[in-house]
Amino acid sequence: MKQDVLVHRTFKRPGRGLAGAVALAALLAAAAPALAQQQSPILDALVESGELPPVAERLPTNPLVVEPVDSVGTYGGTWRSALRGGLDNAWIARTVAYDGLVRYDREWKEIIPNLAESWEVSEDAKTYTFKLREGLKWNNGKPFTTADIEFAVQLHKEPTYVGPGGFLRNPNNPVELEVVDETTFKFIFEKPNGVLMDELASVNGLTIVSLSKDYCGQFYPPINPKAAEEAKAAGFDTWEAMMLNRCAWATETIRWANPDLPFMNAWMVKEPLTGSATRVTFERNPYYWKVDTEGNQLPYIDNLEMRVSDSVEELTLLALNGQIDFQDRHISTVANQPLFFDGQEAGDYRMGEEIQSSSNTMVIQFNLNHIDAKRRELFQNKDFRIGISHAIDRAEIIDVVFTGQGEPFQVAPRPESPFYNETYAKQYTEFDPALAAQHLEAAGLVKGADGMYTFADGSPLVVTIDTIASLRPEWPDMLELIQLQLEAAGIKLEINNIDRTLYYDKRPIGDYDAQVWGGDGGLDVVQEPRYYMANSPESVWAFRWQAWFNGTTPDIAEEPAPWAKQQMDLYNQLRGEGDPAKRTDLMKQILTIGQENFPVIGVSLPGNTYYIAKNNMRNIPQTMFQAYLFPTPAPYDPFQWYFAAE
Amino acid sequence: MLRFVTGRLIAMVLTMWAVSFVAFAIIQLPPGDYLTTYVATLSANGDRVDPAAIDALRQQYGFGEPYLVQYWKWVSGIVLRGDFGQSFEWKAPVTSLIWGRLGNSILLEGLAVVVMWLVALPIGIYAAVRKYSLGDYLATIGGFIGLAIPNFFFALILMYLSFVWFGETIGGLFSPGMENARWSVERIWDFLSHAWAPILVLSTAGTAELIRILRANLLDELKKPYVTTARAKGLSEMRAILKYPVRVALNPLVSTIGWLLPALVSSSVIVSVVLNLPTAGPLLLRSLTSQDMYLAGAIIMLLGILTVIGTLISDLILAWIDPRIRYGSK
Repeated sequence: MKQDVLVHRTFKRPGRGLAGAVALAALLAAAAPALAQQQSPILDALVESGELPPVAERLPTNPLVVEPVDSVGTYGGTWRSALRGGLDNAWIARTVAYDGLVRYDREWKEIIPNLAESWEVSEDAKTYTFKLREGLKWNNGKPFTTADIEFAVQLHKEPTYVGPGGFLRNPNNPVELEVVDETTFKFIFEKPNGVLMDELASVNGLTIVSLSKDYCGQFYPPINPKAAEEAKAAGFDTWEAMMLNRCAWATETIRWANPDLPFMNAWMVKEPLTGSATRVTFERNPYYWKVDTEGNQLPYIDNLEMRVSDSVEELTLLALNGQIDFQDRHISTVANQPLFFDGQEAGDYRMGEEIQSSSNTMVIQFNLNHIDAKRRELFQNKDFRIGISHAIDRAEIIDVVFTGQGEPFQVAPRPESPFYNETYAKQYTEFDPALAAQHLEAAGLVKGADGMYTFADGSPLVVTIDTIASLRPEWPDMLELIQLQLEAAGIKLEINNIDRTLYYDKRPIGDYDAQVWGGDGGLDVVQEPRYYMANSPESVWAFRWQAWFNGTTPDIAEEPAPWAKQQMDLYNQLRGEGDPAKRTDLMKQILTIGQENFPVIGVSLPGNTYYIAKNNMRNIPQTMFQAYLFPTPAPYDPFQWYFAAE
Repeated sequence: MLRFVTGRLIAMVLTMWAVSFVAFAIIQLPPGDYLTTYVATLSANGDRVDPAAIDALRQQYGFGEPYLVQYWKWVSGIVLRGDFGQSFEWKAPVTSLIWGRLGNSILLEGLAVVVMWLVALPIGIYAAVRKYSLGDYLATIGGFIGLAIPNFFFALILMYLSFVWFGETIGGLFSPGMENARWSVERIWDFLSHAWAPILVLSTAGTAELIRILRANLLDELKKPYVTTARAKGLSEMRAILKYPVRVALNPLVSTIGWLLPALVSSSVIVSVVLNLPTAGPLLLRSLTSQDMYLAGAIIMLLGILTVIGTLISDLILAWIDPRIRYGSK
């Protein structure tokens, strides 16, 4: 289904990418003006009274034409959904905020134009030239130009201003911005950057297009010399604090607390998300710059309303009661599935399918960099990990914890991925106590009188696994079964349920046996290879090796084993490589090394999850991919969803 | 009396100072700080933060400084400027976040206390006077059930029943669109139509406790000779019971008023989460897990102050209600 996902979308060849984009842009430019442009009836009065300019003047010269999923829609309605507590910015990112320079297409195969109508990548992958649509406007009617991009870049280069910044702040590959004219700008990197387009198309790419110079400049001392004093007068310690509050970037929660902040999204804040808000509402952006194939200005739906609730139970009941029009986040749990299935008729909603990007329900990461030499040696021994893997009865876990959904799986690319490799996915997954014993003994463990393994020197072996129940309640359930299974195999396991902060604090110190986490990187193999190689601080199994690789925390860095080092070399080559075929090949080599050395242990492939949508809500695909970087459902263009009249 | 109150006020200031010191220490006890949580969240989401930027933030937030310095900055801000500091997570001044929610807490829990007393007093008196009657047994059984059901579970059951029976989702304190409206008859009605559930949940356990305490105390009092004397002198039964024995029996209840407010706030955290009430509880819970220390500190501090004020009130009421207690110079 998802052939050549990464090949195509990640690494467009300069010539082809540009040609494709230009061709599309030309097509759009030719199509758009010929059609009568229409707008939501709620805007008619405003235009007649002169408060708003006519729709033709509000749209850019070549608005983005969006092909509806099923049919051209009708205007109106309120989409009701819910936020879990006041700081659930991810749901807003997924419904409202996903409008970067570029975006992913609905197949998650290609990167397509968005605010930028075209782009060009230099042969050496160091210079990226973007061309913005002409005549784009913020929701307050002010033009959106390269000046706004320049402002965002400048702000994120301030050492005292802290945002994530991504590639803007990467010390290993600094970037310069060159503004050519009002619509054209270039990013010029010191070293090749092959992954920029993916970063910009993912949910992390919103930072640089989210700050209006016209509005946010008033909080910035180089533009407004009084900014620092004004911040103090408003109750903030520094201008940076006030900037973060009034002018938050990308998808920060506090961004939705300020209705004055200009947006480029389909809906804009009406009732803000403050500390005591119990709902947030959005209304249509009259300056939204997308149209459907008949020239109707999008979005179709006029208003959004999000219940702010700390209570998952309340959200579940709201959904069952038909008071939610579309939602997957928080409520679509395995436990709720039969409940929602039975309630479809009464609640007048339907269920759709979501394929998760994650490769595993739980990844067991033994600490290959343990500070205790004896344990480090044991955990680095591949036989030990193979022995543990064979001692786990995955079928039992799938039956008991996941109501039979899923299949035994290692931490490897998912079947839908072009990188899928059955050997990698299935190796050592069969439950085989004899084989397990054989490998554990090969790892140098010795069975004591009580039937439990000890170290070769006779000292007792107890493995402690850290987990966070509050994050994923199923982890402790799975671990309790694994605990019994390993005990039967002769390995004593302790489950250590701790707070998330402590979890992270332990990593640099290196004094933990094992930690568990979810199986990221099942589909986004190239962007998130944390379990195939030690590339990020989330590679908990080799925290000190990744420190060596990333160079950000030199005090704990340790030279990796030769195979891990070889993977890092390959990944560095991949980052600088322009040719998609070669990049795929490099990634395959990295995966092969990962497969041979088997650094982490997986349990099972997560079953598909689901969303629920009101029966009269249209243009939603029946099946979607569900990922963080591909912020479902945003790539399925919620602005072209509509309520059918019944 | 004046001297007593003055002395108590001075002691209150010292207590509050101690409370603030301990509150701030408690928040800093867990490993890491807000930035650890923040980086963890970003990192789990696949975003990276430049460690240099984090160091800069640590400096800016003053995380590297010794405890006493941090504490002094915080507490002096509160005392001198009424500034509780910034909430890291909300990127906003703490004062802009807490008052509304604290107001909701006090309103809701105040109502729960009133309901609790209104229900518990008559039942408690009745149960004592008509010892071992059918009513007494019913009150006892009802009370024990109320005491035994965990509050959050009771809340869940209420939500479920109201969904199944009435097709209504109870949750929150207002209907959509009513939250930001001005107080009016309509809004009060809307509030009551939502607030009955949390009030019922919050008051059940407390009611049971009050009934038992009152019944036990009153039983002791009723046997005493002064009650017999009062009856012998021809006082009506009603008067004979209410004039003195009930007042005396109320003593232990009144002297714990001071604990009521903070106990209600803290015991209602889970109920508030389950029923999605915009009170201080969920905000406190959330700020503790994310280590948003100034926000958490402010809420804990205010709970402490509530306790101290509550204790003063209970002492004053006690002095007024119990004839045996005499304060003052002579």
